[in-house]
Amino acid sequence: MLTKDLVAASSKPLVLSILADGESYGYEIIQKVRELSGGQIEWSDGMLYPVLHRLERDGLIDSEWKEADTGRERKYYFISSDGRKVLKTERQQWLAVHNTLSRLWKIKPVSI
Amino acid sequence: MAGRSQHLEQIMENQTRFDLNAAIESWRQELATQANLTAEVRRELETHLRDSLAGFQQRGLNEEESFWLARRRVGQPQQLGEEFAKADPAKVWRERIFFIAVALLVIPLWMGLASNLAAGVTIFIRNVIHIDLTPAWADVYFPWWAIPLYRGLPYVFFYAVLSIVPTIWVAVLLTRGRINRTRSALLILFKSRRRFLFVSTALFLICCSWCIFVLSHVPVGSPDEKLFRAGEVLRLWLTNSIWPAALVALIAWLLPTQNRKTPKRA
Repeated sequence: MLTKDLVAASSKPLVLSILADGESYGYEIIQKVRELSGGQIEWSDGMLYPVLHRLERDGLIDSEWKEADTGRERKYYFISSDGRKVLKTERQQWLAVHNTLSRLWKIKPVSI
Repeated sequence: MAGRSQHLEQIMENQTRFDLNAAIESWRQELATQANLTAEVRRELETHLRDSLAGFQQRGLNEEESFWLARRRVGQPQQLGEEFAKADPAKVWRERIFFIAVALLVIPLWMGLASNLAAGVTIFIRNVIHIDLTPAWADVYFPWWAIPLYRGLPYVFFYAVLSIVPTIWVAVLLTRGRINRTRSALLILFKSRRRFLFVSTALFLICCSWCIFVLSHVPVGSPDEKLFRAGEVLRLWLTNSIWPAALVALIAWLLPTQNRKTPKRA
């Protein structure tokens, strides 16, 4: 399980990366993170929404209420062009940390 | 025998049947107590709860279990409120400025009203009920410079009482724990920008008609003098309207943040 600080810090690149693959909504984003991390990253559902709203306010993502195939309305989020730029720098920074730790722990680093 | 026990089982099941809609409704109300959760956020959280609930049901849990798990996953309303407040500190300040502006508008209005009412009550008691609260024979007990003060005492008394009435009212509401209910009742006036502007305009027009009524009863001499007085009053009136008008505009501008993002229900 991740510490609170790490959860907070990693939420931005995680959300942006998921939305870079296509529009999504809160519940789906949480499910995807849970699935991809093999249960290692457990977000409390409620904590995701403040993150989404902050990213929206910063102009990194947009949102729209849309009717899903179930007939119910959901708020869908999309990444914006600014969001893609920010994701790029986030990616470089996270990989830099990853590579430094990898070298220290003698794991094979990845190319940035 | 078997039929009877089956019947009993059915009764027990009916008695404890879980009402999903009622449960969601009460959860929604719990969320609504959090000032930091806007209507749109609450709606979004509700869609999340329903998605999560459906997910648990698909995995074979019954309605009630699914609801409680989904509810726990979403988190405590109070905690959610705090998270949202942290995520948007500016919103909290918008609301604070909103209430400050309302107070700045309402307090002088009330003070003006209290002053007029106090004068009215004083005149009413002296001229209509014919009770002299400050009889002239008592003048001898005061030095010459204190006599105007003495004569003005009834007005001061009524003004003091009327001006602190709202403070006492708020204090009573606070101690009785009913401030929240009164707040939501008062917020009906601010439900939408249009309603607020309507109420303000109505109040303004009432004040105007009152001024015109008073002006038309002022016993001044010549028509020229009357006109001059009217011009003077108009000048005062205009100067005094700038600040309230600016406040009304500020409040109206801050208002729709509570509802603006609430989309229409499809």
